[in-house]
Amino acid sequence: MPRWITTATAVAALGVISPAVQAEPLKIAIIESLSGPQTSTGRLIATAAEYVIDQTNTAGGFNGEAIQVKEYDNAGDTSGAATKFREAAADGAHVIIQGASSAIGGQVTEDVRKHNIRNPDHPIIYINVGAEAMELRGKKCHFHAFHFTTTAPYRTVPLMQVMSEQGHLGKRVYSINQNYSWGRDMETAIVDNADRFGYQVVDKVLHEVNRIQDFSPFVARIKSENPDSVITGNWSNDLLLLMKAVGDANLDVTFGTIFMDQPGNVANAGNVAKGHYVAHSSNIELLDEAGTEAYKKATGHYPVFIEPTTLNGVGLFAEALKKVDFEGGDINVDEIALAMENTTFDNGLGGMHVRKADHQAVIPIVVSQVASDVKYPVDGTELGFKPVKTVAGADAIYPAQDSCRMRRPE
Amino acid sequence: MRYALIAILALLALLIIAPPLLGTGWQYALINALIAALFAAAFNLLVGQGGMLSFGHAAYFGVGAFTVIHLMQSVEYGDFPFPTVLLPLAGAAVSLLCGVLAGFFATMRSGVYFALVTLALAELLHSLAPHWDEMFGGEAGLSSMRMPSLGLTFGSTLEVYYLTLAWVVICIGLLYAYTRTPFGRLTLALRDNEQRIRFMGFNAHGTKILVFGISAMFSGVAGSLMAISNETANYSVFSTQVSALVVLHTFVGGSTIFFGPIVGACVLSLFTFVVSGVTHSWMLYQGIIFVLVMLFAPKGIGGVIQAHIEQRHSLPWKRLAAPYALATLAGLMVACATVFVVQSLEIVLSREYAAAVARTGEYAPYTVFGLEWRVFHPLTWLFPLLLLVPGLYMLRRAFARIQTLWDNDESDDDGDIATTPELMEGGR
Repeated sequence: MPRWITTATAVAALGVISPAVQAEPLKIAIIESLSGPQTSTGRLIATAAEYVIDQTNTAGGFNGEAIQVKEYDNAGDTSGAATKFREAAADGAHVIIQGASSAIGGQVTEDVRKHNIRNPDHPIIYINVGAEAMELRGKKCHFHAFHFTTTAPYRTVPLMQVMSEQGHLGKRVYSINQNYSWGRDMETAIVDNADRFGYQVVDKVLHEVNRIQDFSPFVARIKSENPDSVITGNWSNDLLLLMKAVGDANLDVTFGTIFMDQPGNVANAGNVAKGHYVAHSSNIELLDEAGTEAYKKATGHYPVFIEPTTLNGVGLFAEALKKVDFEGGDINVDEIALAMENTTFDNGLGGMHVRKADHQAVIPIVVSQVASDVKYPVDGTELGFKPVKTVAGADAIYPAQDSCRMRRPE
Repeated sequence: MRYALIAILALLALLIIAPPLLGTGWQYALINALIAALFAAAFNLLVGQGGMLSFGHAAYFGVGAFTVIHLMQSVEYGDFPFPTVLLPLAGAAVSLLCGVLAGFFATMRSGVYFALVTLALAELLHSLAPHWDEMFGGEAGLSSMRMPSLGLTFGSTLEVYYLTLAWVVICIGLLYAYTRTPFGRLTLALRDNEQRIRFMGFNAHGTKILVFGISAMFSGVAGSLMAISNETANYSVFSTQVSALVVLHTFVGGSTIFFGPIVGACVLSLFTFVVSGVTHSWMLYQGIIFVLVMLFAPKGIGGVIQAHIEQRHSLPWKRLAAPYALATLAGLMVACATVFVVQSLEIVLSREYAAAVARTGEYAPYTVFGLEWRVFHPLTWLFPLLLLVPGLYMLRRAFARIQTLWDNDESDDDGDIATTPELMEGGR
């Protein structure tokens, strides 16, 4: 913070003394969980975002200056995020990047909206690279918020489509999810697509989040319904323990998952994970080798889990910056936002752009299967994610929600 | 007493004058510190004065927050006019109600069982909230906007700061006044000997419920102020972290003194604000502070200050000056050594550093305290050792000397052992 302020005062002082034009540097604040239980995800997002900005800076920066990035630690809670948002706004941030939690996403996007209403001359853009709650694109949508990650229906539709094409979905589908807004979004998506892919939801279960140590009663219930496949949006321990319990019960079903690629999952599940599906917004197996190697060289690891999403989102933002030119003068954030609406970015799997109605990014979805014959095995195992099919963004995306009423700048 | 009044007025004047000169980040941090202070003071009514350790006070804090956010929403949509400045009253009322209800059950037991019941009641809300979207807003939470009131828009952080300050000062004033009333005395008696209260003809259970309710009510005001300031409420406010944080604030500040928890909450909130901007290891430092306070000053920061104020006329200040200066210096040396080691490890063990090593094949020098250090240079690891060992030695000597001086003073005192501070005893 001090450096920004001193630069700002120095710039202001210069402005008073001489009318010499000093370019305004673009300031990006990464408000992430950098300490506490969600650090691992927050760290990945910060690393990937900084990687993209570093590249832009190497290529000459923006507005004649290097882009300034600063990390703010929200300590994993909404109050911390609110504090850090105000700090970032006071520091003069133009853009905020966040993604490790939908709860914090809700706080940040609302803080940005209110800040922009109260300070129409200094608006801020919110780039969401990981918060998947539907509500952020619905009731809470606004012009300055851009969502580069998917949502429950956005991932479920391609997952079902590909599993159905591969003959692994079957006619009897079992839905098991966590009992909170995300899990319920998932369940709705699973039920809603039954006719489209010709299956029957034999049973649907919502269970407590990250509290269940033994999934065997649930597995017994699954077994009694004799499903062909189980679709779940579970993450972390809830996914791991569920898969293990299914493995222990020698149940022959195929899992369709959303978060299988979270680091550590495949290592923990081992061979139980083999053959199961995951729908994600990128797969390293399909990416250009030079790009992934360059990423590894800079950060020490290949892009995993939430990193490709971050690279896509911040990548589109960096691409949009090329379309605006303030000629070293003041930065107009609204113009950058409008440019982001009109930018198409090739993320290595196809073109992506932002839908105008709710600022949801239209990204291709890769559906992959856990298999052993892969180029990039994960977690120190011999297993990895073998891409089955890439579904174009336009085919996978859900319709914009009616609850989103976006007010655009005049 | 007169000095105390002057000190409080001076502090109040500072809290009124200083914020406009600070940035919005600091203003907001001060709002959070004030809210934490009120929450800790309300919590301490139960713990320090009533002798009932609750592990679930987040519940009443959260109930206050959600009440106000719902009310703010109906004001925003024009359904129900309610002045923004009076919103905390609504939070207080609902929290009082919940507190009396929960208190009725919790106070049937005391000690560990009481703590467990409060914990269970808070967890009940914490697990219920994510299932009830209409009431608690799901994962993304509820949100609203402050509406103009009394000719103020409440758009700027500064206006919210003054609103918070006014409420916190009034509430802490009320809580202090409470301790001076006969019922406040009864609360203290409840802590010291519940049996005796019963024999004196008071209804012990009823008293406990009322104390619980009042504590919950002021916690609700704190929660309301947070909802007003954040303009959002999320079910994570019911988490055990929130309950644990107020316990931490209270005990670091010192639960036996009225102003202890307030000091503790302010110090730790501002510490978090400043240090979390500098290092990711701030939670470790916060933990170290807690452990040190519990080990060496079990009455907390407030206890240390109070011991000094009480003994100010009898302490040999001139002879104490040298050992106090030495202790400060030695403390700084030990702190420097600790910070150096932690920061070095944080940098050297980070992924970025590992990636840089893999990329370049060499262990690049890193910067701590504005100087460059090499990982494998002996001086790098000798430096903290050179600070730590003499620092600890000096600290021991200084404290031994301070202890003697305090003890001497006690023998000079007219033998009133009861007022002897337990400050330097390092335990009980």
